[in-house]
Amino acid sequence: MKALLICPMVRPAVPRLAESGPLATAPIFGGCVVIHWIEHLAALGASQIEIIAPDGASQVREAVGNGARWGVRVSVTASSVEPTRQEALNQYHPAGEPGWLPSPHDVVVMSHLPGSPGMPLFESYGSWFSAIIAWMPLALTPASIRIAQVRPGIWVGSRARVSPTAELIAPCWIGDQASVVAGAVVGPDAILEDRSVADGTARVTRSWVGPDTFVGPMTCVANSLAWGNTLIDWRTDSLLHVPDPFLLSSLASPKAAATTDRFGRALPTKRPAEAKHGLITAMHAPLGSAADLKLHA
Amino acid sequence: MKIESNGDSLCVSEIQELTAVTSASFRDGVGYAINATTSVIEIDLAQTRFMDSSGLGALFALYRATSKRDGLVLRLLNPVPEIEQLLELTQMQQLFEIVRR
Repeated sequence: MKALLICPMVRPAVPRLAESGPLATAPIFGGCVVIHWIEHLAALGASQIEIIAPDGASQVREAVGNGARWGVRVSVTASSVEPTRQEALNQYHPAGEPGWLPSPHDVVVMSHLPGSPGMPLFESYGSWFSAIIAWMPLALTPASIRIAQVRPGIWVGSRARVSPTAELIAPCWIGDQASVVAGAVVGPDAILEDRSVADGTARVTRSWVGPDTFVGPMTCVANSLAWGNTLIDWRTDSLLHVPDPFLLSSLASPKAAATTDRFGRALPTKRPAEAKHGLITAMHAPLGSAADLKLHA
Repeated sequence: MKIESNGDSLCVSEIQELTAVTSASFRDGVGYAINATTSVIEIDLAQTRFMDSSGLGALFALYRATSKRDGLVLRLLNPVPEIEQLLELTQMQQLFEIVRR
């Protein structure tokens, strides 16, 4: 069965989400928008998915590869415009042509997450945050082997490190290889993406912390999107580049960035990634199992 | 930076930035201007576009100094959203009375 995915172009309301790549590759729950859509369509029975990429086609290609990891065939086509669903239907899916997924899964504009058509992603930073928080319970698919729900409303990556004295308040998501250090509080409505760190007594609430982001000790990230040293208040769209790295900073060193893709996977033609930051290895204080965690479902 | 003393109140304004370069002069300037009759200190941050940990440290030092004196009020006026975000990130907004006029 065939399906067509249309990547959204840069939206003026959320320029920062497209700073390091097209919106379709904006990181969410250990993957990105386009990856979650491919997983969804593959689960519906798609075997051949064409992706129309108005910008950053090469980065979309880098993110999805040839689709083999989902058992589908994926091709990415660059385009100068973002076609509407109707335009794409007219151009790529003539009426009555067999072999396509049933509507509306046949042609999808990725302006929302799978199964959440009423939650637009890119209308504002607030809509982005609301959409991903609402989608959190749907993010765990049968294919997600690195994340488990350890308590109702609390998802933790299998290689995440959570101190026994840290506090996780549902709903929250601790991504793969993320660290929550002693005394830190994460949640409610908090997402710590892969390889991020909430250092001792840090507090992350009603916020999304992007991948490879360090939240420093005693800092409080609330009602915000934090990625690298960028902090956006999703209620007001106010943006701050935090000047002091011990408060908020990126853990992705230039060297690591050169040897891994945006998702931290080693690039095949280069040397494997080395430890990204001495801080991570220095933080491995005694950490407990999931059963020891202080959890508030 | 402009420091105006009006009876028992002290108003500090026109602070372009509070950084490692400017925080010492801010701290010393305000410190010298406080006298025995000062009961209100207002730091107007309306023009402050950049602040780092040194600036936060200068504000905290001022808070520490003023909190020792009974009846002395310290207010931050009109911080721009970015500065307010920084105060929230460091939880320093809990220490200060923040007023918008």
